Amino acid sequence: MHDALTLDARANHWLALALGLACIGTACIGYAIGDTFYLRLATEALIFGGLALAVDILLGYTGLLSLGQALYFGLGAYVSAVTLIAFPSFWTAMGAALATGLFGGLIGGLIANRVRGVYFALITFGMAQVAAKAIYNTRSLGASDGLIGVPVLDVNLGIVTVSTASPVGFFLLALGVVTLLYALCSYLMDTPFGRLLIAIRTNEARVPFLGFRTTTLRLGSFVLASCVASLSGALYPMLRGFVSPELLFFSTSGNAVITVILGGVGTLVGALYGSIIFTIVKSVIGSWTEHHLIVIGILFMAVVIFLPKGLMGLAQPLMRRMVHRGKP
Amino acid sequence: MIEAVLAVEDLSISFGGLHAVDAVTFTAERNRITTVIGPNGAGKSTLFNLISGALTPVRGHVRLDGIDVTGAPPNRMLSAGLARSFQITSLFFGLTVAENLRLAAQRLEPNLRLWLPTGRSRRARERVRSLLDQFGLADKAQYPAGALSHGEQRRLEIAVALAAEPKVLLLDEPTQGMSHGDTELTATYVRKLAQSVTVLLIEHDIGLVMNLSDKVVVMNQGRKIAEGPPAVVRADPAVQSAYFGHA
Repeated sequence: MHDALTLDARANHWLALALGLACIGTACIGYAIGDTFYLRLATEALIFGGLALAVDILLGYTGLLSLGQALYFGLGAYVSAVTLIAFPSFWTAMGAALATGLFGGLIGGLIANRVRGVYFALITFGMAQVAAKAIYNTRSLGASDGLIGVPVLDVNLGIVTVSTASPVGFFLLALGVVTLLYALCSYLMDTPFGRLLIAIRTNEARVPFLGFRTTTLRLGSFVLASCVASLSGALYPMLRGFVSPELLFFSTSGNAVITVILGGVGTLVGALYGSIIFTIVKSVIGSWTEHHLIVIGILFMAVVIFLPKGLMGLAQPLMRRMVHRGKP
Repeated sequence: MIEAVLAVEDLSISFGGLHAVDAVTFTAERNRITTVIGPNGAGKSTLFNLISGALTPVRGHVRLDGIDVTGAPPNRMLSAGLARSFQITSLFFGLTVAENLRLAAQRLEPNLRLWLPTGRSRRARERVRSLLDQFGLADKAQYPAGALSHGEQRRLEIAVALAAEPKVLLLDEPTQGMSHGDTELTATYVRKLAQSVTVLLIEHDIGLVMNLSDKVVVMNQGRKIAEGPPAVVRADPAVQSAYFGHA
């Protein structure tokens, strides 16, 4: 017997599977026609999808609006770049990014979780700005130019070795990492821990009277989100060969929030779909006009007004009916 | 003599110059119903907030089975065996009735289960099933709590407080806003509860108080003015003047 929330999560897994298959299809087509540009773009969409997952953990489950999630994405990217330049190993870079996410998340969480609502949004925004400016002014990190010269890697996955220079190879690697992050998040959100985060979003005042400390739960949520963001960010220098302070700027954080709302808040898989749509819209319209932000702004407003549950608000009921069928 | 599970001693708090709760002392005996009554503003809800850890007293003690739990936060109070319901219904309205109860029953499980799939928390699930039956909510289990009628929400509010199997249950006006029929129904639930849990109740319906309570504590302007069996308290002249108006 499963309850409604577990069945909803299962409905989302089918949508995630569909996305995964579409990605593999894209990889095959891209490989067949020898494409580089679109595969790189799709890889970027997946990486920013990881950042959006982190925002959804906070916004969609815990009810916390972070306007500075790019802090952890950017830190992960910088730590990964610095590690790779010194010691070109995929696993070391990912390990360093995870450690950054853990410690950074713990510190940031202790600061930001002292407040709620608008103040939480402002504190997260402020922390990201401080870090962005600090990096922007640090010469050894390349200052405003960013850090270039991240070497091409051969990632040893045991059975195969994937080069980050191979568009299709690295696309599939990024797909693997983001899938693992999605799986981790959706697993945790369906445990009693995740349910307590939902309880906090719904009615925080009652949770202590159920016997749980809300500060600990919110810190747990914050650290999870920072680790997910940091691990996603770690992939960025492997894709582009450089990192720049823009990765920590508000535009990155804000785009991640827009992505989650486009895809559907509180669904996890919506964050990934949202990121793909967002990346397509941005680059397609960006190739016509440099004022693509206007179009994205209008699209965002339209979604908020006409599809308040985002894209998943359309797709989920269908999947839910499929999954619930024949079950009490 | 019957053992006191909850002992409140000299409990006090003031807001500015107002002594909202002033040196209140009483006990609640095991598996009995103790009711706190008093006119509006007497400090009953503040007293509940002090006992349940929502507020920290400036003076006095709260003892649970002899253990001093004064000033512990609500989550520790629950672990110590004290749970409460709220006068203003405080549920997870977007979640199903079953999920509201499961969240509340999760404390019955070891902490490790927090990290395993929700379906693995079997004890919590069994608790949910028995509460659904006990409170007549089984056919509404998969409804969102927000879709229940007021009376049903008030019942769920009690069930949520009871889910973690507390020793002491604080019920803040469980019949608030209920029809006469629902009030009677709630009274039977509360009476049944008292077979296995110590109940501390705030209630306005005097008829209900007199026939439900084993002991009545009367408050007025932050102070306790009487304590005893319902019949004795009803006859007390101080209570007559404070509660039923000056003669």
